[in-house]
Amino acid sequence: MPENGIKRNINIFRPIPGAMTDEVKVIVLLLLAYLFAVVGSQMGIWFLEESLHGFWLTDLFFFNLPIHFWISGQFIPLLFIILCLLFNLWMDRHEIRRMEGTIRFRATGRKKGEVP
Amino acid sequence: MSGNGVQFIPVIIVAGMFLLFIVSGLSTKMRQVSDYGFAGSYGGRITNGAAIASNWMSAASILGLAGLFYLKGYYAMAYVVGWTGGYVLLLVLMATQIRRFGKFTAPDFVGFRYESNAARTLVALISITISIIYCMAQFRGIALLVSWLFGMSYREAVFTGTALLVAFVVVSGTIGVIRNQRLQYFVLINAFVLPLMFINWKLGYFWLLPQFGYGKAIITLQEEFGFFWSEPFASISLFQWLALCFSLMFGTAGLPHVLSRFYLAPSMRDARWGVVWGLFFISLIYWSAPAYGVLARLFDARAGNPFKVPDTATADIVTLTAATQAGLPVWLIGLLVAGGMAASFYAAAGLLQSGAAAFAYDIYPRFVSSNATESEKVNVAKGAFLVLASVVMLLTLNQVGLIAEIAAVAFALAGNTIFPAFVLGIWWSRTNAAGVMAGMLTGLFITVAPLLLGDLFPIVKIIFPLTSSAFIGAPLVMLVMILISLATRPPSDEIVSFLISDVHDSGGK
Repeated sequence: MPENGIKRNINIFRPIPGAMTDEVKVIVLLLLAYLFAVVGSQMGIWFLEESLHGFWLTDLFFFNLPIHFWISGQFIPLLFIILCLLFNLWMDRHEIRRMEGTIRFRATGRKKGEVP
Repeated sequence: MSGNGVQFIPVIIVAGMFLLFIVSGLSTKMRQVSDYGFAGSYGGRITNGAAIASNWMSAASILGLAGLFYLKGYYAMAYVVGWTGGYVLLLVLMATQIRRFGKFTAPDFVGFRYESNAARTLVALISITISIIYCMAQFRGIALLVSWLFGMSYREAVFTGTALLVAFVVVSGTIGVIRNQRLQYFVLINAFVLPLMFINWKLGYFWLLPQFGYGKAIITLQEEFGFFWSEPFASISLFQWLALCFSLMFGTAGLPHVLSRFYLAPSMRDARWGVVWGLFFISLIYWSAPAYGVLARLFDARAGNPFKVPDTATADIVTLTAATQAGLPVWLIGLLVAGGMAASFYAAAGLLQSGAAAFAYDIYPRFVSSNATESEKVNVAKGAFLVLASVVMLLTLNQVGLIAEIAAVAFALAGNTIFPAFVLGIWWSRTNAAGVMAGMLTGLFITVAPLLLGDLFPIVKIIFPLTSSAFIGAPLVMLVMILISLATRPPSDEIVSFLISDVHDSGGK
């Protein structure tokens, strides 16, 4: 385990340089978008309710639904699906890149990135 | 609800649907070997997604959510966002890593990761408790539907429903029926959405996409009956809404039977893509559920009672009431009941079986018979299944709350205990057995705190509401895990090395 005298650990706040760092960056970005969607939307709806005695929520309709029903009941689940889709597409590309690097390393006998 | 006599056509449809599942399950068993040949294909991922969705569907989704919309309006949106959002957490934080661990149950995972039989036993006990609470919601759903089908009282229906469930599991187990989850999802989504399309069509709304069409009912309620849905936070605070929503998210990502889906995926890519398809299939149900609640409210309004506040049993069966009040053909109502029965039956059976397995494989060999053979454990599991079913049946006799609220307590427990144990177990290698034990015990205490201390210290009920305690509870439990882990001996080099080289994408370093 110790490498150059330094013991390695798994810590999401201090990812191992390389592939894990990229993965953690994507996870953090997605979770921020996710948090913003959930908390931000509800704070927005709460603000609309407080302002003008709920005028916006009574009169603003989208796709046949009151705006807060549409945002929470339809849009946020759809956004979750899109976030999952983006994560998977990134992970697929990330895995392919890593596999290509491994194959090149095996084929040439050189380390990844090493100039011939 | 009771006293209308036996509903013959719906009973025949329900029986026919279970027969279809049994026949299909037997043919699935014969095809199983060839099915594995397609593992990892595009079709495999959709199938895996349908299996995730079918595994997820329960009385809470099919019956409970609509009831909550009917009774509490916008508050129920926290369930829609919480239950779907939990899958995002599962995907980005846990799905791939759990698949890499290669352990088949939550106790297996915790026992291996934390190198502790005590932690493994604690998770087994928590899993059993979660199964019991979650099963109470399913049994309540089954009882309400049986009560309507056979025209009997709630208590009689609880006994009858339990007997039917146990008989179904015994027959399925004896003849070796494999669960065809793809077919189940197909039947469930049709049973739920087709009646809704018919109701929208009968009312003259946009029936092709009833998930949007029911908006007209909201406008009608507002303009003709003065029933407004425009004050979402009038009866609850923003904190209460967010607490419930995040508690359900953490719980979703911590439910043992949800987590176990990822151990079973043929590959890591299948595990990941299965979540996307699963989330899409689950969302189809949740985009539709509010419609039943709103339409039931419209029928009440047309009957001259727009502000009716019914009892919990009436609210929980509002999906069925809306279909009946709309005057749908009896076969369509039968289909809806069959969907509800299938969701409740399979959820209850799965939960009881996982609870029984946790007892037979994690608790019995440790405390009763350390040399138990495989066949002895199987027999113990069968006995534990019957005991758990009886316990749940007795607990369900008292109507303690709405289906969705009972389910939410199970989610809060999972979110306070198993979710932090998995997240830290995967993402912080320093977490050790002492930390996870202390954390999970704290989580248990937090979950029951509103019941134990709520009357003495009302603040406890505000910070840790019974159905939403994981919002503050889960971060607090993680903090306890971190502090205790830092104060005690670190985990072994072997497990840290396993996390680095086998679980995380560290380039094999």
